[in-house]
Order: sequence, then structure tokens, then C-alpha cells
Amino acid sequence: MRAPAPAYAADLNGETIEAATRALGDMLVRAQDRVGEVTLYVDRQQLIPAMIALRDTPGLEYQQLMEIAGVDYPDREERFECVYCLLSLTRNHRIQVRVNTDEVKPVPSVTSVWPVAGWLEREVYDMYGVLFDGNPDLRRILTDYGFRGHPQRKDFPLTGYVELRYSEEAKRVVYEPVQLAQDFRTFDFMSPWEGAEYILPGDEKGMLPEAKGAPTPLKADEIKKADAEQSKKADPAPTPKATETPADTGDGKATKAKTPKKPSTAKKPAPKKVAAPKAKTAAKSAPAKEPKK
Amino acid sequence: MKPHSGPVELQRSAAGGAIVPPDQAFFNDLNGELTDKGFLVTSTEELFKWARTGSLWWMTFGLACCAVEMIHVNMPRYDLERFGAAPRASPRQSDVMIVAGTLCNKMAPALRRVYDQMSNPKYVISMGSCANGGGYYHYSYSVVRGCDRIVPIDIYVPGCPPTAEALLYGIMQLQRKIRRSGTIER
Amino acid sequence: MTDETITTDTAPPIGTTDDPYLEQLLGDKDAIDPTTGDVAIQNYTINFGPQHPAAHGVLRLVMELDGEIIDRIDPHVGLLHRGTEKLIEYKTYAQALPYMDRLDYCSPLCMEHSFVLAVEKLLDLEVPLRAQYLRVLFAELTRISNHMLNIGSHVMDVGAMTPNLWLFEIREDCLNFFERVSGARMHSNYFRVGGVHQDAPLKLLADIGDWLDTRLPRLFEDAMSLVVDNRIFKQRNVDIAVVSREDAIRWGFSGPMIRAAGIPWDLRKSQPYDVYDRMDFEIPVGTKGDCYDRFMVRVEEVRQSARIIKQCLAEMPEGPIASLDRKVVPPKRGEMKHSMEALIHHFKLYTEGYHVPAGEVYVGTESPKGEFGIYMVADGSNKPYRCKIRPTAFSHLQAMDFMSRGHMLADTTAILGAIDIVFGECDR
Repeated sequence: MRAPAPAYAADLNGETIEAATRALGDMLVRAQDRVGEVTLYVDRQQLIPAMIALRDTPGLEYQQLMEIAGVDYPDREERFECVYCLLSLTRNHRIQVRVNTDEVKPVPSVTSVWPVAGWLEREVYDMYGVLFDGNPDLRRILTDYGFRGHPQRKDFPLTGYVELRYSEEAKRVVYEPVQLAQDFRTFDFMSPWEGAEYILPGDEKGMLPEAKGAPTPLKADEIKKADAEQSKKADPAPTPKATETPADTGDGKATKAKTPKKPSTAKKPAPKKVAAPKAKTAAKSAPAKEPKK
Repeated sequence: MKPHSGPVELQRSAAGGAIVPPDQAFFNDLNGELTDKGFLVTSTEELFKWARTGSLWWMTFGLACCAVEMIHVNMPRYDLERFGAAPRASPRQSDVMIVAGTLCNKMAPALRRVYDQMSNPKYVISMGSCANGGGYYHYSYSVVRGCDRIVPIDIYVPGCPPTAEALLYGIMQLQRKIRRSGTIER
Repeated sequence: MTDETITTDTAPPIGTTDDPYLEQLLGDKDAIDPTTGDVAIQNYTINFGPQHPAAHGVLRLVMELDGEIIDRIDPHVGLLHRGTEKLIEYKTYAQALPYMDRLDYCSPLCMEHSFVLAVEKLLDLEVPLRAQYLRVLFAELTRISNHMLNIGSHVMDVGAMTPNLWLFEIREDCLNFFERVSGARMHSNYFRVGGVHQDAPLKLLADIGDWLDTRLPRLFEDAMSLVVDNRIFKQRNVDIAVVSREDAIRWGFSGPMIRAAGIPWDLRKSQPYDVYDRMDFEIPVGTKGDCYDRFMVRVEEVRQSARIIKQCLAEMPEGPIASLDRKVVPPKRGEMKHSMEALIHHFKLYTEGYHVPAGEVYVGTESPKGEFGIYMVADGSNKPYRCKIRPTAFSHLQAMDFMSRGHMLADTTAILGAIDIVFGECDR
């Protein structure tokens, strides 16, 4: 361990696992020593006797419960993990005890072993919806009165579902569905060669089996715009307007009368595409300037 | 009575010597009038403005981090009471509420309730980016995105947290606002 | 205490004949004690907060009172629940660090300390010695500034005004030091994974040394001389909320709360992190476990912190202030101007951030209020999978119920003050 992290008696890890295996017997599912920390996976049904054994057995002596942390792994069959962080004041050692559960299976409450667990369990209940069997006061603790859902679950959106506002009509604070002026922007920095598992838009073409020979590039008039259909209805191809003399500028005269005078480019019938008129006018006005000079 | 322009910086005389008090002529006039006649004549509007700006008792609505800077502005180094602004823990007797910190959903009804209890004319200063618009916690599920969704705000003080000086400046801005728009009813 | 700001409804004027409450009392013969003629009063419930000057923030207590005696307290927390833990899961490690400052806003740097140590433990990252010294120095300076706020507000809650004014002057000095080293008065964001953000200028270190020798002892000892032997202060604090050793352990106490109960437990000593193992300091321990002991433990901790800072200043070596591992610590700006590689690293670290190998750690450090822990689950990506914050105040506030049972209503402020509670970290 090179990092300057709190140096508790880490050399006790090995013998702790041995002692815990002896003391817990079949209550222990498995034990691991990872990143310098001992973790005991305990059978959920037998959590209370296991905790009492961990607290009272000489050689283990974990007197203090510092924290109960919930973690949500939606992919697992039992999606929630409760992590009990224990501390031994006499042996100067820490361990984590973990049990797995899901939304309906209750975890036995350890309030009888450590009274401090009361609020800690309430918090896990509030955040994840894990039920604790035997907790005398399993109410919500951190979220608002009347809050719905369990915010720390991975499927709960960051911004929640509702937001508060003071209503002048109701003369009180009311909840409304959440409306954000700007969505939360989350960036994905995974580069494709580091194992991104999604396909970027457009990349799916690379996956298709290629036709024999190189594909012929599309011609410009073959390309259809996505909104071509819609805008054609809304805006039928206008007759190009030209302003050659001051009299043409907006006096409402039909420009068609003048078209025969113009160079041949203008004689083409008005194209049906939407994008074309703009290009047309530009193309026409350029030669139109020359006679003036 | 000519309206006083409000707090201004102390100016050094051209020679760079002694400090000249601001608006000395104004105070001399005032003093002369008072010693001469024994009373001052002014409009009621001026009087109300003077009274309102001179004793802004603020409701301590310390919610989070900004509350610490709000305490600092009261302490000897910045000494807010120079400006007549004194902390008052009760809404009934306070004139301005400083919303200092993140306003959460659970707290919002209490904020509104305190605001409703304050007597008119009442002003609200929103202190810090959380109170202004959610700030660092804008996208959280439990934070009100700006306390102006709950109460009307007169002055916004930016910062995370704003320094004590920034809050002091915000209070001076509020005094200026009251002076500018001071009417009898509000 | 009488300043109930959230009034529920207006009571009918007492003395009017149509007052139903009074009529009920007068009509009910059992309500009057025949021996003394006193009116027996039933238990009633009052609501303290959530907006109350003595609540140290946004605490709401529902108290059941028997006269002036507290029967039961139900603290309602979560009024400052900002969803920090959820937000951290959506931010990279570097972006999540400033949330730590805003947890316990009275001691921001000590909160950062736990976070950076947890990430470093997962990364197994070596930190240069100078950075470790700087961290310890500023963590102890934070401890002083935190205790100044707590001691000051504690004495103010029980009726003394003057010491608070003097102690805030010390705090103001501390904030100036933070500003000089990091640019921000309160939320410094100074500790970074792998070291600290910037080197402290020599003049600053010299000034801190001078300040410790002159200004701090003068202001602090003067202020304390007004309080520690003060009769009123002792009457309000001695024998209030006595907690036995067994209770302190069972209720998960830490920091000054467990030390006041008589257990010499200090994570800086027992589980030293950074360079605390090189420091020579003592742990004050209480004898009785009451509010006065908690107060005195904090007073002595300030002196010990000053001692640690002096040792840091004397022993601090020269050298780099952050790890030179460019996959974690971004290069300085000057380096970027002439090195393409540094530019790439800078860009990558400030957009994507670094990836932390999968693993779970619990790192607890001794914050001024007690054990502040971070339980971090990393999944190998650039964002924490789960970051559980272990607040100090949570277990202490939970014990409020049994600590204040049987005490007078006015003692709650002393008990709250001695817990040293800050809601930013309690509610997260």
C-alpha cells in the first residue's frame, strides 16, 4: 500500500478472516481481502447472530457500527447490497459485512445489537427501499415528507419527477412535474477503442454486408432532404423574383413579364425542390448586374 | 431637505492629506438648520426612506454554507451593524430576509411561512448560487432550483459562497433600491 | 429558546370566559392538586425549528415536554438533503471533489481529506511528502477554524456574547490563509487526488508561523479565560447530557464526543494517515462525558492543532506538491505551454478524468467533529459507482433523544452546541 490512507492494523487481515471463519461457521458465505480491506459476505437470515459473534468473540471485538451503506446493482438477482462498516477500538481494525437483498425480502434489523443502527437503517430504507425487519421506527428520514420513490436507486432519475413552486392561487407551496430549462448534460468520454459497447449514429452502415463493387455516388438531384415532403406543401415553389430596375423593388409587379429578357439560365422552369429557389436567385442576380454597368 | 446620496467612499483631499468626510456641506447644512430652528423639515417619503434604509433588521435564514459567511459579515471584521442592519431571529420584527444557502424541498414550506409572517415592507436577499438558481445542486431531485420559485427576491448575491464583502455590498444595493423606489405603501 | 419562529396557530387570549382550555382546567377537579393547589399539566409537544437561531442550521425537533422537563425528542433531519450522493454518481472524481467542501461547511478541507484518501487508496497512488505535510497543515488549520465556530456558538447559545466575537476574528484569519493558498475563503477545493492543488508560498507559511506565536494564543486564551471558569457557563454545562463509555460505543460516537466520554480514540493517532505518524501531539480525554467535557476537549484540541501546525512548518521538506503520475494529476499550466504531451494529459484529465480501478474502500478520517468516512465503490470508470458519506453528526444527533431525556428545555441548546452539528454533512 503506497497511498497515505489511514493505516489501521492491516496485518491483522489474514487472522481476522481465519477468526471470523471459525466464529461464524456456516453464517459466513465467503470472505475476501481486497484493496487492503476485509469483507465478509454473511447469510441474510443469520445476520443478527453473526453480528453478535463479531462484536463479542474475543479476537474479533468489533464494538462499533460506523455505517450502513446501501449499494444498488440492478443487474443482480438480489439487487441491493447492505454494507455494514464495523470498527474495533481494541484491535484497531475495520471490516465490512455485506448482505444481499431485494425490494421485498427484509433484512433483520441490528438495532438490538447497536442502537445506532436505527437511523442508519432508516436512511437505507429511505434511499433504496430496503426493508429492515425489527426496526421499531422505519420511517423516511432524509427525503421530503410524502416523498415517493427511493432516490438512490439507479433507475431513479437524478432530477426526480417533481419540483416545488409557490402557487399564488393556492397560497401554498405545490409540487409539479419537473421541467428543466436545460437538461443535465452527461458526456461519454469512452473512446471506441477502449471498449465502448454502443454504436455511434452512422456507424451501423459499416456493419452491413457490402454490395458487389463500389456503390455509385448519388447525384445531387437524387438526394432527398428529410423535410422535403413537408416543406413542399407549405411552400410551393415560388417564382423567382428579380430586382433589376428600381421599379421592380416591391411594387408588386409580376416578375414573369421580365423573364424573357434575361439570360437563358433564368428560362428554366421553376424547380420543384425547396432549396433550389435560393440558389436560383443567386445565380440569376449575378449575371443580371452586368447589363447595368 | 435635500436627499442624501447615500454612503459614498471617503475621499482624500487633493493635497493627499487628511480624509475629507463625504458630503460635508450637506451635513453642515443639516446641522445649521437644526441648531437654527430646532427641527428639520422633510417630505414623508424622504422620512420613510431614511427610516427603512437605516434599520434593516434581517431575518437570519441560514440554511447552508452561506450562513457561515452571513455570520462573518456580522462579526467584528466586517461589522454589518455599521449600516444599521442587525440580525433578528424572529420574522415578525425583521425587514429583510437573507436566504443563505441551498433551499431544499423539505425546507421550502418553512421558508414561505417565515416570509408570510414578516410584516410589510419586506425585502428578500438571495445569497449564493444555490439560492439564486440551484447552483451546484441544480439537477438534484431534492433542491428547489432557486428560491425565487418560493418567494419574490429583491437582490441576488452571486458566489459560492459569496464572501462577506459581497453580502455587505448586496445589502448596500438593497438600501439603494429602497431609496430609489421608496413609497409609503409597498 | 422562547423564540419560536414557526408558530402553529394563535392561542386564544387567556382569561376570557369562553376559553375552552381554561374552562376544561377549571372544571376538571382532578387537574388541581389538592395539596398544593397547583394545576397539573399534561405533557405537551412543541416544535423546535426548523428555523431557529440555536438549531445550528435547519434542525427540527419535536419535543414532548412534561412541564419544562424533556420526555422525548424526535429530531427531524433531512431539511438540507441536497442529494449529494446521487449527484456524485453523475460526476467524475475531479468534479465530485468540491461537493465535499459543501458537506461540512465549517471544516471543508477535512471533508476533502477523506475523499482524496479514499480515491488514492483505490488507485494505490503515492503522494509526495511535501503534499502530505501541506495537507496535514491545512487540515489542522481547518480544525482550528471549525472549533472556533463551534466553541463560539456554544458559548453564545448558553448566553455569552463576547468570546464569540473574538473567536471569529481567529476564524477570519484562518479563512484568509485558505484564501491565500487556494483562492477561496471557504470552499477551497485545495486537496486533490495525488497531492494538493498549488504550493503554499513561503511568505504564507511564515505568516502562519507568526500567527500561531502571536495572534492565536492572545485571542484564544483571552477568550477562553472568560469562559472556562465562568460560573454561569459551568452551571449550564456541567453534568448535562452525561454519556457513559458503553453508551458512547454503542451509539457509534466518534471524535470529541467519544473522547469526552473517556475513551482515548483519535484516528490521527490510532490509524495515522498522511504524515500524522510523524507528529507529536496529545489527545485530550474527558472524565465525565458531559457537555463541559466536550467543550474542554475541543479547547485543548485547538492547542494541540497549533502544535501540529508548528511541527509541519518546521519539518516540511521541499519537493513536488502532487504526484507526478500524469495519468491522474494534471500538469501545471507552465508545462502545458511547451509540451504537447502535457497538453493532451491536461485535456484528457479535465474532460474525461481518470479511471479508478474497481474496488470498494471505506476510509475514515478524524474530522473536527468525529469520524468522517467515505465508502467508495468504483467500477473502473471515470465516475464513482457509489459514494456513501458517513456523516459524523448522524449518530450523534440520533443520541440526542437519550442524552436530553430528563433535562430541562433550555439545556437542549447546550447539548446541541456540544454535539457540534452541521447539517450540510448530516443531511448530505
